[in-house]
Amino acid sequence: MERRDFVKLLAAAPIAPGVRSEKPRQIPRHKIVTNYKPAAVPGMPGPYPGKVIKVKSAKCLSENGEQIDAGVVREMMERGMLALTGEKKLVDAWRRFIKPDDVVGIKVNAGGRPWVISSPPVVAEVVRNLMEIGVKPQQIYIYERFQNQLNEANYAPHLPEGVNIFAAEGANRRLDNSNYDPLTYVESDLFGEEDTRSNMIRLISEKLTKIINIPNIKDHGATGATGCLKNIAYGGFSNVARTHFQGVSHTYWFVGTLASVEPIRSRTVLQIMDGLRGVWHAGPFAETLKYVFYPRQMLFGTDPVAIDRLLLDIIDDERKARGASSIWDRSEKYLKIDDVRARDADPDVNIIIREPGHVKYASTLGLGVADLNRIRVKEIEV
Amino acid sequence: MRSLLFVLICVIAISHSEIAQRLQRDDSSSRRSPIIYWTQGVESAEALKKAGIEQICVSPDKVDSWRAAGLNAIPASPPEIEQREKLLVPGIARRPNIAGATSRPWIDANGWRFIRNPSGKFYYELPAGKAALAAAEAFVYNGEAILKIDQADLEESGKMLNFLRSLPQENLPPIADIAIIDDGSPSTGEVMNLLSRRNLLFRIVKTQSPRALVNIKFGTKEYPASAAADPSAFAQKLRRRITDERRTLRIYGNEVVICRLTGDGSRARLQLLNYSGREIDGMRVRLRGNYGKPELKIFGYPNSEPDDYLVAGGATEFTVPKMRSYAMLELSRGITKKTK
Repeated sequence: MERRDFVKLLAAAPIAPGVRSEKPRQIPRHKIVTNYKPAAVPGMPGPYPGKVIKVKSAKCLSENGEQIDAGVVREMMERGMLALTGEKKLVDAWRRFIKPDDVVGIKVNAGGRPWVISSPPVVAEVVRNLMEIGVKPQQIYIYERFQNQLNEANYAPHLPEGVNIFAAEGANRRLDNSNYDPLTYVESDLFGEEDTRSNMIRLISEKLTKIINIPNIKDHGATGATGCLKNIAYGGFSNVARTHFQGVSHTYWFVGTLASVEPIRSRTVLQIMDGLRGVWHAGPFAETLKYVFYPRQMLFGTDPVAIDRLLLDIIDDERKARGASSIWDRSEKYLKIDDVRARDADPDVNIIIREPGHVKYASTLGLGVADLNRIRVKEIEV
Repeated sequence: MRSLLFVLICVIAISHSEIAQRLQRDDSSSRRSPIIYWTQGVESAEALKKAGIEQICVSPDKVDSWRAAGLNAIPASPPEIEQREKLLVPGIARRPNIAGATSRPWIDANGWRFIRNPSGKFYYELPAGKAALAAAEAFVYNGEAILKIDQADLEESGKMLNFLRSLPQENLPPIADIAIIDDGSPSTGEVMNLLSRRNLLFRIVKTQSPRALVNIKFGTKEYPASAAADPSAFAQKLRRRITDERRTLRIYGNEVVICRLTGDGSRARLQLLNYSGREIDGMRVRLRGNYGKPELKIFGYPNSEPDDYLVAGGATEFTVPKMRSYAMLELSRGITKKTK
């Protein structure tokens, strides 16, 4: 297969309608290197661009939000998958995306441990449905970048024997690169760092044939919100923390760019946002309940941009309701560079200027629909 | 009093000369081997032998007893050691004020000092856990260095010194993108330090080198002395000027390894020093030019093979698997066909 190199020096992307105070910006020179060709219909945005199924249930969590009702979650997921696909039977809905011989990766998010992660009951229900359509447990990989986060999330007791749990690195130390693909990467010098490559996880490029993405509803200090796009992108490549430094963030273009790299773009076929709980400030972490809230909902689709566009409003609305600054606010009055303590203490404080425009930018890469007027949301109450 | 001082100076001079001679690898080679300065009593001779250490520097009054114990003992008095240039403890320095998610690790390394002063005499005073890296560092730059080590490092030091002894002996000239005419100033030294830490390969020249991508002489119109005031910014400026595409060497996967590249028209030797104190697993190397698959000699990992070897676009890439403190890679030129 031919090696494909792209060198791009792009002008600024157009400003999204309704996006406040977003200035045009230069996209740094970067190179995408991959040997993989796109599928005839890439998984992102997949067969349902602009379509989002929102399933809400007050009963999915206990009153205080600490306990998850797995039975209600199962019903939410069944209703969501049927509504997304228009199928009558659940197995047929899942067969739309996965075949029995697929090797399936489930991209969880364990970074918001302990409170806002891809919930074990949600992950278990995905695994159960995969096995219902004939995928063997040995063909299923729960994956995340860091083992220490997976250890805390502790998915194993919730899963059938044989399901693989995989981390690319022990922890975020950047010394263990053996699980990253040296031939599939995005290269760009962002802040003068010496290591200018972000490499795709080998599991994704060399083993998985399909990926199901299970992000959460989370604020993020650098991107504004972290949902489908960032979970699949920053959770699939090495050396990504380098994109935000001393108050400045390159996430605006880097998130979508990573998500667009083959084969991750073609193989990510389903987005299931676990919004049972969320975090409205100081994300993507949720070590305490201080900024945790309870949307009690799940979003289903194949279009990561459409879901993330809704996510931006969910986070921003929650922040407004709590009297905190908007994720769109780029003024420096709320900026305290690298002052994590101040950020954790005050919901107005941010340590980096947020880049919620990354969602719109991803749409310019063909990853989905960011225009709210073109996003069709079907709401279901369980 | 004067004659006493004269005698003392003579003793130090003779002892200096003896160390200098002994630090030569062997008669057929100009390669030096670092040597351990040992302050424990002669009863520790067995422990040294068990660690594979056959040569040590000791206080002059203990030389005979150490030689009687079967070790090759070289006299070195404390004043003589202290006359030498003291080197930094190699490793990652803790700099909490500038720590951040993407901030570069601050490496304390001495390679540039060896390059700047190839006939210099150096010593390390090392806490536990640093001796093997320091020995490798001195070896990589062929520096004449004495190591005052912690006892706890004896075994690891012995292993490293034996490993270094097993490596090819001959010196090859440095390969560099940058030529520096050294004015001897501290600021130029700091520029060399920053270039080293970024693996921006440089060598010191007497006159401009037509082979270098950039020639630097501070105090000129192009490079006024003030250009070196912020050595980090200056190193970055040079990097931009050379461009990453034209750099002879790139390292991916970490920012804690410093490299030394030497070679001639037919071969190259790349030596890697890992300052992190932790094992590295999977470091990508990109070398401009077409080379065959490298032969890896990795301390602690015999029989290692490079992974994902690739020659394309006028460059050779491969992955070095697990390494701890030190690795030597031998490469031969001559692969011209596009390979994967």
